Amino acid sequence: MIEVKNITKSYGKTQAVRGISFSIKDGECYGLLGPNGAGKSTTINMLSMLFPPDSGDLAIGGIPIGKTNTQIKSMLGIVPQEIALYEKFSAWENVLFWGSIYGVAGKALTDKAENLLKWVGLYDRRKDAITEYSGGMKRRINIACALLHSPKVLLLDEPTVGVDPQSRNLIFELIQQLNKDGMTIIYTTHYMEEAEKLCNRIGIIDNGLIIAQGTLDELKTQSQVNDMIIVDCTNTPDEKLLAEKLKTTVVVNENRVSVLSNDSKKDLTHIVTICNDAGYEINRIDIQKGNLEGVFLKMTGKQLRD
Amino acid sequence: MFKILQKELKTFFKDRRAVMLGILMPIILITVFSLAFGGLNGKSDNKISVLVSDEDKSATTKLVIAGLDSVKALEIATSSTDSALVLVKAGKYPAALIFHKGFGDSVKEIKHLPWELRYDAAQSIEMEMMQQYLMQNLFSSVGKMMSEKMVLRNTQKQFVGMDSLAMLMATLQVKKSIKTNSADMDYLQKNIMKLQSEPVEKAKDNQGIIQAVAGTAVMMLLFSLTAMGGRLLEEKESGTLKRLLCSPLTSNAILNGKLLSSMVFAVCQLFIMLIYSTITFGLVLWPKIVPVILLVVATAYACAAFGMFLASVVKSREQLQGTSTLCILIMSAIGGSMVPSFLMPSWMQTVGHLSINYWSIQGFYDIFWRQLPINNIVFLEKVGVLTGIGLCFSVVSFGLFRRNIASMA
Repeated sequence: MIEVKNITKSYGKTQAVRGISFSIKDGECYGLLGPNGAGKSTTINMLSMLFPPDSGDLAIGGIPIGKTNTQIKSMLGIVPQEIALYEKFSAWENVLFWGSIYGVAGKALTDKAENLLKWVGLYDRRKDAITEYSGGMKRRINIACALLHSPKVLLLDEPTVGVDPQSRNLIFELIQQLNKDGMTIIYTTHYMEEAEKLCNRIGIIDNGLIIAQGTLDELKTQSQVNDMIIVDCTNTPDEKLLAEKLKTTVVVNENRVSVLSNDSKKDLTHIVTICNDAGYEINRIDIQKGNLEGVFLKMTGKQLRD
Repeated sequence: MFKILQKELKTFFKDRRAVMLGILMPIILITVFSLAFGGLNGKSDNKISVLVSDEDKSATTKLVIAGLDSVKALEIATSSTDSALVLVKAGKYPAALIFHKGFGDSVKEIKHLPWELRYDAAQSIEMEMMQQYLMQNLFSSVGKMMSEKMVLRNTQKQFVGMDSLAMLMATLQVKKSIKTNSADMDYLQKNIMKLQSEPVEKAKDNQGIIQAVAGTAVMMLLFSLTAMGGRLLEEKESGTLKRLLCSPLTSNAILNGKLLSSMVFAVCQLFIMLIYSTITFGLVLWPKIVPVILLVVATAYACAAFGMFLASVVKSREQLQGTSTLCILIMSAIGGSMVPSFLMPSWMQTVGHLSINYWSIQGFYDIFWRQLPINNIVFLEKVGVLTGIGLCFSVVSFGLFRRNIASMA
C-alpha cells in the first residue's frame, strides 16, 4: 500500500530526514517510534503530501507522489498532531466541513457524520462548540474529521498528546477497530506502550534515520534484548563506571540507571554490589521484560524520552 | 512593584520588533501627517493648477494671463476651451479660466467682462481660494485702468456743451487729479469684473459627505480585511491550514476561497456604510448604483488582496497587527482618507497615488461629485488601477504563500 524509498528532507542546514525507506502492506498498522525531533512528523508530512521530499520516492496505492495528486490525497485521512479543528464551530459543523472538502456531500455526508460522532461517543454533544470540549474529546473529533471520506490509509501523528489515560484508552480502541476493519494505519509516537499495543510493525526512527524495523519480536531478536533492569538511586551514579564494570549498555538519567541485561538475576546482584561499593544508595529496583524501550536503548544508546 | 516594573520592561525590550514599532511608528506617522498637511519646514508648495483658454487673444488678455502666471500659488497651462472643459470634467485639472471674445474691448469700454471659471465639482473648496487670486490679479493688471476710465467717463458727462478745446483741457485736468475711490472699485468688482463661476458638472451630493463616507469606508475596510487576512495566520498556528493543505484542495483554491470571503465581507461592509449614509446624510446612491457596484467590487478586491499580502509577508499575528496599523494609517493619510488630497502639497498628492485609498476615494468623487457615467474613461481608469493593485497583491501573496508552505510543518 505504501512504499517509501530513501527519502530525505532538509530545513536549511538541518537534515530532518536522512534517507528513510519502509513499506507498509494493505491493512497493516505501522508505527514510527522515536523521540521528539527524530523526523517522524516530517516523514508523515511528506506522506500527507504537505511538501515533497528533497530526494527519494514515495508511492501510495501504487501511485507515485507528485507535486499535487488529488487521487492520493483522497485516499488519505490525516490526523495531525495539533487539534486542527475550528474552535468556534460545533463538532457537527467541523465534521461536515472536513467531509465536504473531500467531496462528501448530501445525505451521505450527514449519515457518515452521525455515525462517526456516535462511534467516537460525542453525538449527544455534537452541537457544542469545540471550545467546550475536553482535550480527549477534541482528539476524538480530530480523528473523526479524518474519516468522513472513508480513507484507505489513516496517518496519525501523535494523536494522544496531552490526553488523559481514560481518553487515551478510548482512542486506542477506536484505532484498533479501524485497523480490524481493514484500514491501513501509520501511527507516529514517542510512547513505546502505544506502539507495542497498536502496531503490527514498528520502525524505530532517530536522527532522521530508521535504525530498525519489524515486529516487536523481530526487533527484540535483532537487538538481542531480553530484560532491562531499572535502578533508582538517591544520587546520580557515574554512567561510565557502571558501563565499564557491567560490560553492557547503561544509561543514567538523573538518579535512574537503566541497564540492558541478558541474565537479569546475575546482573542484578552485580549491579547492587557495584552500587554499594561506589556509595550509591538504592531506592528502588525494577526488572522489565524485553520491551521497546530496551530495544531503543540498545539501538541508540539513549532512552526514548531523553 | 519594582520587580513587576523590571519584568514588564524586560519583556517589552526583548521583543525588538515591538520596540521598533513602538518608537518608529509614531515618528513615521508624525512625519507623514506633517508632510501631508504642513509641508517641509512649514513651507507648502501647494499650487493650484488652472487651464487658461484665451478666445480673445487681445493685448489685455495677454497682460492678465502674464499676471496670473506670476502668481506663485497658481500653475498656469493654456488650452482651447473645449479641451480645457474636457480635462476639468475628467478631473485632470481642477479648473479652467476662459477669456471669451471681446474681453479686451469690454475692459476698454468698462462693460461686463466676458470671462468665466469652470471647475471640477470635487474641488469647490479650492475654488474659493482660486477666485480670490484671479480677482486680485485682474485688479492689479487692469483694475486701475478700468477705474480711471470709469471716473473719466462719468466726469465727461459733465462736459456736455463745451467746445472741443475746452473739453480736452478739462479732461487732461481730470486725468491728472483722478483718484479711484473704494465705491468705484466695489462697483467694478461686483458688476463689471464679476467672474462667472460654476462647476463643469453640477453635483447633487455634499462634498463633505462624500469625503467622509469614502475616506472612512476605505480606511475601515483596510483594517477589517487585514484582520481577515490574519485568519490565515490563525489557521497556520492552529494546524487547520496544514490539514487543508493535505486535503484534495489546492493551495490556490484555499487562498482564492479566503480572498473571495474577504471580498464578500468587504462588499457588504461598503454597502452598509453607503446605505447608512444614504439614510442618514442623504447621499444619492440609487441612481448611481451600477458604477457604485463596480467601484465597490474593485475596492473590495484591492483591499482584500492587500490583507492577504500582509498576512503572507508577516510571520505572526502580532507582527501583522503592528505592520498593518502602520501601513493603513500611512496609506490613509497620503491617500486622502483623513483630509482631502487637494489640501496636501502637490508632491504628496502624487505620492498618494500609491495608496488604495486615493483611487477609491477619487472613484467615489467621480460618481457622486463629478457625476461621471459608468463608461467614462476617467472613472474606469480608477476601477482599472484598483483591480490592478488587487491583482499585483494577489500574485505576490500567492507566491509568498506557496514559498512558506514548507515552514508550516
